[in-house]
Amino acid sequence: MNRRLHVGLGSCLWLWLVVSGVDIAQADERLIIEAALDRQIVEPVLAAFAIENPQIDLDYRDRSTLEVDRRARSHDSPPDVVISSAMPWQLALSNEGMAQPLDAPEVDQWPAWAQWRNEVFGFTFEPVVMAYRLELASHMPPPETHRDLLDLLTHYRQWLDGRVVSYSPRDSGVGYALLQQDARYTPRMWDLIAAMGAADVQLETTTQRMLEGLSDGRYWLGYNLLGSYALLWAQTHPDIIVQVPNDYSLVLMRMAFVHRDAPHPAAAKRFVRFLLSRRGQHILAGQTPLFSVRDDVVGPYTAQRLRDQVGDHLYPIPINATLLAFVDTLRRQAFLRRWDREIQILSE
Amino acid sequence: MISPRTSLKRRLTLWLIVIVAGLGTLLLIEAYTSARKAADRAMDGQLEAASLTIAESLQWPEGKPTLEMPASALQILATRWQERVFYWLQADNGVSMTQNADLPITDAMLEQARHQPVYLDAVYDGRPIRLSGREVDSAGWDTQEPVQLWVGHTRRGRDLLAQELFRKSATRFAAMVLITAALVAIAMRTMLAPLRRLRQTLRSRRADDISPLTLGVPREMQELVETLNRLFADQRDQRDALLRFIADASHQLKTPLAGLQSTSELALTSRDPNSWYQALNTVHDSAERTSRLAGQMLSLTRLQHLGPGHQREPLALDRLLREVATDWADRQDSREHDLGLAIDLPIPIWIEGERWALHELLNNLIDNACRYTPPGSEITLRLSNDEDEDPNGAAERVTLAIEDDGPGVDTESLARLTQPFERGRRQDTRGSGLGLAIADSIGLRHGSRLTVTNREPRGLKVSLTLPRCRPPEGSVT
Repeated sequence: MNRRLHVGLGSCLWLWLVVSGVDIAQADERLIIEAALDRQIVEPVLAAFAIENPQIDLDYRDRSTLEVDRRARSHDSPPDVVISSAMPWQLALSNEGMAQPLDAPEVDQWPAWAQWRNEVFGFTFEPVVMAYRLELASHMPPPETHRDLLDLLTHYRQWLDGRVVSYSPRDSGVGYALLQQDARYTPRMWDLIAAMGAADVQLETTTQRMLEGLSDGRYWLGYNLLGSYALLWAQTHPDIIVQVPNDYSLVLMRMAFVHRDAPHPAAAKRFVRFLLSRRGQHILAGQTPLFSVRDDVVGPYTAQRLRDQVGDHLYPIPINATLLAFVDTLRRQAFLRRWDREIQILSE
Repeated sequence: MISPRTSLKRRLTLWLIVIVAGLGTLLLIEAYTSARKAADRAMDGQLEAASLTIAESLQWPEGKPTLEMPASALQILATRWQERVFYWLQADNGVSMTQNADLPITDAMLEQARHQPVYLDAVYDGRPIRLSGREVDSAGWDTQEPVQLWVGHTRRGRDLLAQELFRKSATRFAAMVLITAALVAIAMRTMLAPLRRLRQTLRSRRADDISPLTLGVPREMQELVETLNRLFADQRDQRDALLRFIADASHQLKTPLAGLQSTSELALTSRDPNSWYQALNTVHDSAERTSRLAGQMLSLTRLQHLGPGHQREPLALDRLLREVATDWADRQDSREHDLGLAIDLPIPIWIEGERWALHELLNNLIDNACRYTPPGSEITLRLSNDEDEDPNGAAERVTLAIEDDGPGVDTESLARLTQPFERGRRQDTRGSGLGLAIADSIGLRHGSRLTVTNREPRGLKVSLTLPRCRPPEGSVT
């Protein structure tokens, strides 16, 4: 009798503690993440973080790059953490003072080329790839380089007309950044754009929709897809071939930062530190196709392993002030004007 | 005023610390500002490079300015310290071309930049930033609008650079201070070495060693050594005088004692009571003289050993003179002389002095005069005004003189008369030769030296001048 009362009291106490603990967690430890990163892909990382920090109530909002940028600038309800693949916009936010610096051992170990001002961190290493349907190979030699792509567009236009898909530079921040970077590396990029224009290129705003189009058979060939999404897609869709260009391949890095006005700065910092930590990167390398940046992490998806597989021609988009030029209004207008001109130069 | 416990070393060190601290503060302030300036100069170069790169990319198709923002310009602006970068371009018509920040640019700044490139500090977003502005113009087929081009960045790199420069200057300064301190310590030891040597020399001297110091010292200390040597010389002179006095005194005592001995020996060989009586008389005389001599030597020594007058009191000099003269008139010794008193001044005459000493002085002078003049001589005690004083002014001093019409003293001996055992070459009297010396010592105690002069046509005058004083309260005039 006595003993049972004891147990009863104990469990009451336990229950009270749990309930109040949950209350406190819900009241204090929320974490709002505005991200241009598919939840489905990053889920293992979020889950691991949630297990390690059960008191934090994770509010992950998956949006487009431009929407993420808009929300990061909002004064009314700023997010805690901002994640986006639109690198120029992310750097611009940091330059405008929207990010707060992070001081942590993970930051000290983080490679200098993958961060800016201790504020913004490129925590993934995603190659930019071409993807094509398997049946394309039966009509023409599959493309391995940018030059191959231009040749195909020139010589097999009858097959590819209306079946080529790429990012819209106007409607997608990632697409715009990738094209800008392409154009920086080679002026022949404009020939390619003109050829794509001649082949009546279709424009999408996300890699996901390009992949869906490829699987549907609407598109045969996709250019400038995010390798992370494409590789995951190809695992379940054997008719889609992912090709990392052999001449050069851009590498895009998702950039994350803690917002200056983060309503829950402690949780926000904890999350970004987790992204950069060995554990977080290990999950990234093993359970997502996002590729880990850290070279002390082992797994199927690491920057080091990608380099070993495709060789030296990986060109990460540099994280520095040059990115700011891409978001300059005049430059963006001029670029889009030229893009409009080039895309129809051959079709007239 | 230097208190005896203050160490020279400590004073020097204190001064040095004060100087170094003051100078150091100034130097460090200067170093800080110049470090900031140097950092600004260095980093303004980056601003200029970025500004020029952007200016180079400006184009005027159809006369309207446009720009494809060069990525390298922004990278130059960011520098390796990853500054936040700002740019702001405005066409001449006041319409913004492109900008990434609402920089706080005023009309005055625009006007300034119109003439030449400017660099200035500003505050943006609550942070200090550095801005550079210039106006870009170009020739062309159409009229081309000039463009105001402003670039800027945060100050992180500048602050770090300035800090580094300042730390270097501060380190240099600290090193300089330490080296200086070491050198000063060595210099101080070297400089103070002669002083230490002097101290050691003095300490190792025997107490009675009063020979001059022969020590190589710097010019600044030569004076000190000379003073010491002069002191030693004075000591030597005094000791010599003392020894001479002792020798003289011994000699003076020895003569009567020898006389006593020979007289008593002679008497002892005789059986005649008559000659015993005679001898006893001689012995008595001689003993009396010797005793007087000893007494005088004692009072001279005592006078010379006493400090400056202690028990001075106002006293009427004329009254004192009268007392002494009356006293002497009754004595055996002056019976054969004509002792007179001549007071040429209105009485009473007040002076400040020691009664017993002046008494002694007068006694000695009168005794002397009686002793060294033939019987029947006239001796006058005189009080008169000081001859050097202005006769019309208020008399502040009074001259006391004793005049006689005796044989006087030859000129050579005059000056030496006041020295002990000096008798002016007269061996015929029974004087001790100490009277004038005692009188002189007493005069000295009263601030005056004894003056001895021969009188015309004959005789001697011994005088001294004393300061007069106010009559004491309640005295009868």
